[in-house]
Amino acid sequence: MKDVFAVARTQLVCSLRERITLFWFLAFPLLLLCLLGLIFANVGKPQSLSFDVTVVDLDRGADGARFGAGALHALQELAGSGETGEKPLFRLREPAPGVDIERYVAEELDALRVGKRDAVVVIPAGFTAALVAAAAEAGREAAPATRIEVHTSGGRTSSGMALGIIEQIVARVDREILSQLGLYRLDQSVAVGRIDVGAADKTVAYIDFLVPGILLMGFFVAGLFSVPGTLLFGRETRVLRRYWVTPLDVPRFLGGFALGHLALCAVQFACVVALARLAFSAQVNFLQPLAWLYLVLGVVTFLAIGFLVTSLARTANAGMAIANIVNMPMMFLGGLFFPIGSVPPGLRVVLLANPVSYLADGLRASLGVSAPVFGHAASIAVPCAWIVGCVVVASFRLRWDVGK
Amino acid sequence: MKSLLTLAGMEARAFVRDKASLTFTFLFPLVFIVLFGYLMGGTGTTSGARLAVLVGEGIEPARLVAVVSEVGLAEIVTASDPAALRQAVEGRKADFGVSWDGTTLTFVYDVRRTQENFAFEELARGIAARFDLANQGRHPLVETVAVVEGGEASANWFALVVPGILAFSILAAGLFAVAGHVTGMKQRRLLERLVVTPMRPVALLGAIVVVRLVVAFVSTLATLAVAMALFRVPFHVDWFAYAAFLLAATVGTMGLGTILALVVRQPSSAGNLANVLAMLMLFVAGIYFPIEIMPAFLRSLSQALPLRHMADAMRYVTGVMDMSALRFWVICGVFLLGGLALLPVLAHYVVRAERR
Repeated sequence: MKDVFAVARTQLVCSLRERITLFWFLAFPLLLLCLLGLIFANVGKPQSLSFDVTVVDLDRGADGARFGAGALHALQELAGSGETGEKPLFRLREPAPGVDIERYVAEELDALRVGKRDAVVVIPAGFTAALVAAAAEAGREAAPATRIEVHTSGGRTSSGMALGIIEQIVARVDREILSQLGLYRLDQSVAVGRIDVGAADKTVAYIDFLVPGILLMGFFVAGLFSVPGTLLFGRETRVLRRYWVTPLDVPRFLGGFALGHLALCAVQFACVVALARLAFSAQVNFLQPLAWLYLVLGVVTFLAIGFLVTSLARTANAGMAIANIVNMPMMFLGGLFFPIGSVPPGLRVVLLANPVSYLADGLRASLGVSAPVFGHAASIAVPCAWIVGCVVVASFRLRWDVGK
Repeated sequence: MKSLLTLAGMEARAFVRDKASLTFTFLFPLVFIVLFGYLMGGTGTTSGARLAVLVGEGIEPARLVAVVSEVGLAEIVTASDPAALRQAVEGRKADFGVSWDGTTLTFVYDVRRTQENFAFEELARGIAARFDLANQGRHPLVETVAVVEGGEASANWFALVVPGILAFSILAAGLFAVAGHVTGMKQRRLLERLVVTPMRPVALLGAIVVVRLVVAFVSTLATLAVAMALFRVPFHVDWFAYAAFLLAATVGTMGLGTILALVVRQPSSAGNLANVLAMLMLFVAGIYFPIEIMPAFLRSLSQALPLRHMADAMRYVTGVMDMSALRFWVICGVFLLGGLALLPVLAHYVVRAERR
């Protein structure tokens, strides 16, 4: 047993001493957690953004009440929120008095095309008159609508987001006008609610969904790369041969190797969970037996896949190449970072055969951050089948020494 | 010139014989494109969205159905009760759901679809606004008409990702090409034989650039063709700008790669360092995630990354996104001149035998 612990200690110390191993097994998962946590903490919250919007009100010459001014005023309100210390949602531009409007619009559209503006809103001439006509017909089934043109820039996400917000503002102005005309009752407006499903009856922050995925990614990368890295390079540089001239046999070497690998994964786990809790206030609770079962099953499954890759490669470089080729598809088709949507039947076969999908699903379900898709029986059985398959193939094919 | 051609011939043969390089150069971008195309091709758009609708007992469903029919959904699924509505959303039979009990319009989302819910929520806001009016027998008086200027009107998230991946593969290959190749030659003691010949150090780097340039053309064209054929991505390529950008980007990134060659001694270290740098840039440069959804400091950081500008330029030449011609040519100029300045200067320090 002493020699098993010695091998385990060697494996762990070697991994922690090697800078590149430290990066991919420890720093990279932490970095990815930070990046995805920071990026997706902002999704759907345009408050952190500020859009450059130009408004051209061509309805200025109209007599009497100018309803275009209502839309303009609503936009100006949002642009002026900077005075209260908040970041204004819009940086609004309007043509100066006396400027050539046609030329101004053309210049602003050019600026929009190259990304200097997010939207150009044009309130057309005769807007008020058209609006009054539309209001007169408002009670009828097919009432004519008055149009406001919102020019956006193709292929720019910020432009699409600005359009969405402008549409909401226009809808608000629309209700206000109808209300002023006595055609809409604010006290009878429809209440809007929201229910989130898919997360065991509670709302789950993206960080809680992400943490189990990052952990499994760390285990996956560790298993997939460390086994061929250690064994194939050890075989090529004849380091392994030195083990075989000692009383240590293959099963005890493997036991020590697996123990060292488990310790490395434990270090990974501690770092990822600590960062998620301290930096992102993750609430996910790992103190659950089923979650531990999935974590250990994950470590063992990925270790077995690492042995399978090692057994299929003749050289260390070939081993790393195979690992690189299977890494991305298995990771992304496993739903580690994002849920997997509808995929075509060919790819669905890969998805259903991928142990990462089951482990991610089972772990998240056991932690209560996601409703199970496959069920616990399948989530345990499929990785177990992979372990058996990998061990059988590896036991036949793996060579422990050069020339053997 | 003769030595450059000879070395280029040698480099080309070495590249073709190197299965690993061939695989990574040609297969990786294709794998990325196919994976992301199938997994996330519809992300950010709502044109193919499916909505599950539940209307409470005794309430006329026609009004709600009429409103949701107007917003351009691909499919409307009718749910019989709240449990069926939840199941439809959880089981992906619908992308999101809506129930109407006579007073409250409740939208149902699957929290696991973090990346897509933003688009569904926007659609839901539109439905709620229209239904609010329709419920009082009114129609909107004012409608917004979106007019797309420049770029590709139908460009969805995936159409933006493809040029980004192409830019990324040029960057990764450029960073690794010089560092990996030169350290490999040092390791196999080939370089020490070459440096005692009359070959000029810059000729070796020039030969690597020439071969990589051809490889970049073939690889990016193959990837573009697959994306267009399989996923009908709307590209309108400006071939002159495309060729100019590819030349500039390859030379520029290889210039950056030469800096890596100064600090690494092993081919594996070169690969690892190139991978680490490229991977970090990949997440912050707006390749997978729009820069606009990132926090302000990451948006500022992305401005300093070469990959951000490469991706923008690649989107411009493929017609997905517009930018000013001046900015495009400045990007090309900076990459080209940067590479042309770095390669000959650093060649003397990089192309020399390993000290023992």
